Amino acid sequence: MQKLGEELRNRAGQKIVDPEYLLFEAPREKVFMTGSEVVKEAVKRASVDASVSYPITPQSEAAHLIGELWVEGYVGVYFRGESEFGVMSEIAGCSMAGARTITTTSGPGTLRAMENFPMWAGSRLPIQLVLMARGINSPLSIQPDDLEVSFLLDTGCMVWYAENAQELFDMILAGFVVAEQPDVHVPVINVINGFFISHTRESVMLPPDDIALPPYNPYKAPMPPIDMEMPPGRFLRDPFVMKSNYISYATHTSWQFEVRAAIERARPYIKKYLGSLIEEFGDPEADIVLVSTGTGAAQSKEAVRLLEDEGVKARVVKLRTIRPFPINELRQAVKNAKVIFVPEFNVVGWLEREIRRYLYKHSDAEIIGGPRVAGGMTMPPEIIVKDVLNYLGKEVKHVY
Amino acid sequence: MSINIFKINEDLKEFIPQEVIDLEEKATWGNPKRGVMDLPYAKELLEEHSLCAGCPESMAFRYILASLPNPEDTIIVNSTGCTSLVFPHIALHTVHSLFGNQNAVATGIKRTLEWRFPDKVKDVIVLAGDGATVDIGLDCTLQSFFRQEKITTICFDNEVYANTGGQESGTTVQGHVFKMAPKGKQWPKVQMWQLAIDSGCHYVVRMSVSSPKKVEQVVKKAIYVAREVGPTYLHFYTPCILEIGLNSDDGLMEMRDKDKERFKFFEYVSPQAEEVIAKKKEEGLL
Amino acid sequence: MATLGPSHYSPYPVAVYENILPPPPGKALLFTEVVDEEVAMREAAKAMLTRENPTIFPGPQVIYAWNEEAKEKARLIRELAEVLEAKIIPMVDYRPKYPKIDPEKEINPNHPNLTIWHNNIKACIFVGVHCHYANVALKIIRAETDCFTIALCSNAGHEDAMITLRDQHAEELKKFIEIAKEVKKEVK
Ligand SMILES: Cc1ncc(C[n+]2csc(CCOP(=O)(O)OP(=O)(O)O)c2C)c(N)n1
Ligand code: SF4
Ligand SMILES: [Mg+2]
Repeated sequence: MQKLGEELRNRAGQKIVDPEYLLFEAPREKVFMTGSEVVKEAVKRASVDASVSYPITPQSEAAHLIGELWVEGYVGVYFRGESEFGVMSEIAGCSMAGARTITTTSGPGTLRAMENFPMWAGSRLPIQLVLMARGINSPLSIQPDDLEVSFLLDTGCMVWYAENAQELFDMILAGFVVAEQPDVHVPVINVINGFFISHTRESVMLPPDDIALPPYNPYKAPMPPIDMEMPPGRFLRDPFVMKSNYISYATHTSWQFEVRAAIERARPYIKKYLGSLIEEFGDPEADIVLVSTGTGAAQSKEAVRLLEDEGVKARVVKLRTIRPFPINELRQAVKNAKVIFVPEFNVVGWLEREIRRYLYKHSDAEIIGGPRVAGGMTMPPEIIVKDVLNYLGKEVKHVY
Repeated sequence: MSINIFKINEDLKEFIPQEVIDLEEKATWGNPKRGVMDLPYAKELLEEHSLCAGCPESMAFRYILASLPNPEDTIIVNSTGCTSLVFPHIALHTVHSLFGNQNAVATGIKRTLEWRFPDKVKDVIVLAGDGATVDIGLDCTLQSFFRQEKITTICFDNEVYANTGGQESGTTVQGHVFKMAPKGKQWPKVQMWQLAIDSGCHYVVRMSVSSPKKVEQVVKKAIYVAREVGPTYLHFYTPCILEIGLNSDDGLMEMRDKDKERFKFFEYVSPQAEEVIAKKKEEGLL
Repeated sequence: MATLGPSHYSPYPVAVYENILPPPPGKALLFTEVVDEEVAMREAAKAMLTRENPTIFPGPQVIYAWNEEAKEKARLIRELAEVLEAKIIPMVDYRPKYPKIDPEKEINPNHPNLTIWHNNIKACIFVGVHCHYANVALKIIRAETDCFTIALCSNAGHEDAMITLRDQHAEELKKFIEIAKEVKKEVK
């Protein structure tokens, strides 16, 4: 940070502003952009210190664009690692050494990197991962499919899910702010459905690019950074606690609970910086509820409009965060629901499982897992409409 | 600045255990000429360890830590294995992350510290076992060499996966019977020092840790060269006395034996490294 | 024993699972209640002045003279200990120590209960301990001992402590010392 007159500037020379100003108050201009381009715009305004990349469709372009920011001086460290396992370890090193970090991956890359994610969380590294979900092997598919998200739910990382490029932009900025809170300080994974968001253009409102988030302060972290600048000088991040005598099992247990507790502590910050953990859409009185995330929620909103034409009232509850799970928000939102549909972009229905778990004994609604598409299929709103009409015993007039 | 993280506030000093006070007062900080000759007098940076009694790894640790030219600004990245039981007790900022990712983590740390502290020398060292360096972590090890990361990598080669109970590793000699090689190892010992040269390291050594003075010399050279030129690699024989059935006082003899054969001193110095070493000799630092 | 947590088979209670979060800025936490800082400071002083073997556990951020704030805090902690007639047992670092710590002289986040048991400590203050280690230790203490825990945190606080004060810097420490002096007159 340097001081210029009264203004604080980051190392790229951008004026440092409060996160609240950047997210809510700064004037915004309309642009027409892909999700990948939006990643660049968010990173550009985030005083990012380090990013490490590896090619995999559909996230490569976003990673290239972060590289451009490095060339332009907006990002301090940038390079291509040897594999996603290497990349996620390299970015962990950057984070331990006190950097604000972001990286991106997709599908097989996520699974290749897997061992790193619980390590990130256990080491209290507030790394941001933008996950552009795609199918996982086998068979290989580069197409959108979000099965990979289910593997991440218990890693100790926060998992957020953006519906469109606009939300992705705001979530990346909010992601740094929330994840880096000293009492949170765990990784945040911002998910989008690959291609649908990464490769399509939509209008997005952006604040000016000469302002940016305050830089990360590693000396407020819940553990000292690895830089030999903060005591204790004797510090291993992170030790084999099992070798401590006596109740060493307690340390490991307590440590794991602490990581999960950190995710819980994110709730008020998420409310502050994202508005809410959920978004509700449609007639609040409707007792047909579509609970979904990301592109599934976008298609559900469209389905609600079509259902209205059919004389059926329905609404959408979009989950912005999966970890922390919006438990009370969801329970409240489906209080009067008679039936809940869970449209998903995978064959296993991980979101349905989550919803059943948290609504068990908290809702009398029938829960229907579906419709589900996978392997690159799109989810036309008509298939949601069809499932709802079928359930209601109404005639299905649509093309299907 | 960094030395201050060991300075104890006067108001609380009377409550602090002696070993911590000694770290402040009797360890050698801010003196690049420190070395193994300080061992009998100075406070060591290693407080204790839980290796087997007489494990040569413990000697290696003591010599290496005594030889660091810049301990107040040195970070060591470790991997899983017998060595990781020692790391909590080292009075430096250190890392244990995953088994085999040590050179990747070190890369991130080194590059970030260069970005955050452009005017300060921060040495980053990797110290891991043969399984970590040569087998599971080979990709990360070599790739950090290819990328010319300014890191010193030290491998403790005990020719076995010791911490998991004595399994064959890539550096086990051909024919040796270990677990998972019940008919004896079927293929030759990996010549990791040669791979390091071919992959772009500027200073490479293979030897045992039987001579403390020699350890000091090669550690210092490796760190100075890494600082200014690029990756350096030290391959040390630290026999696992437990797994080869030796007594706790046999480690040194075992190393001296092997000094004459497969761990005969071998040193590679690139032309750029030569320059750095010559300069440091002139400055009286080697 | 403090209440055992609802965390199923694990004996480790976790306050967030009981819907307790750190206090909002400007406030403190007294058990499950969000209260004014002064209220929490009074209760903290009372706990330290009335329970057996009160002890302050300073952590690395205040033990070492790595910046001016640390030096001042160390002085104030010393003063606070005198006012509260509390012992000082340091947490010099976070390493799992072999074969075990000397519980008379040290506390360790990996088995903080050993020090508390050994010295029969019924009230304690964590100050200058990095948040992660304070949180790990406070959960264990709550599960394994009946010690009344107080956290003076320079960040957002520790909901697993019985009293948590957040954003505590030198100014707040001075204020706490003054309150402790008043409370002392009342209870002694
Ligand atoms: C991904 C993963 N695979 C396997 C292990 C088990 N493991 C732990 S230590 C170790 C052996 C380490 O061998 P080496 O690197 O030679 O070190 P040594 O113990 O011999 O000093 C193994 C296989 C692990 N911790 N993580
Ligand atoms: S098992 Fe072998 S390498 Fe490990 S500490 Fe014992 S002697 Fe040393
Ligand atoms: Mg080995």
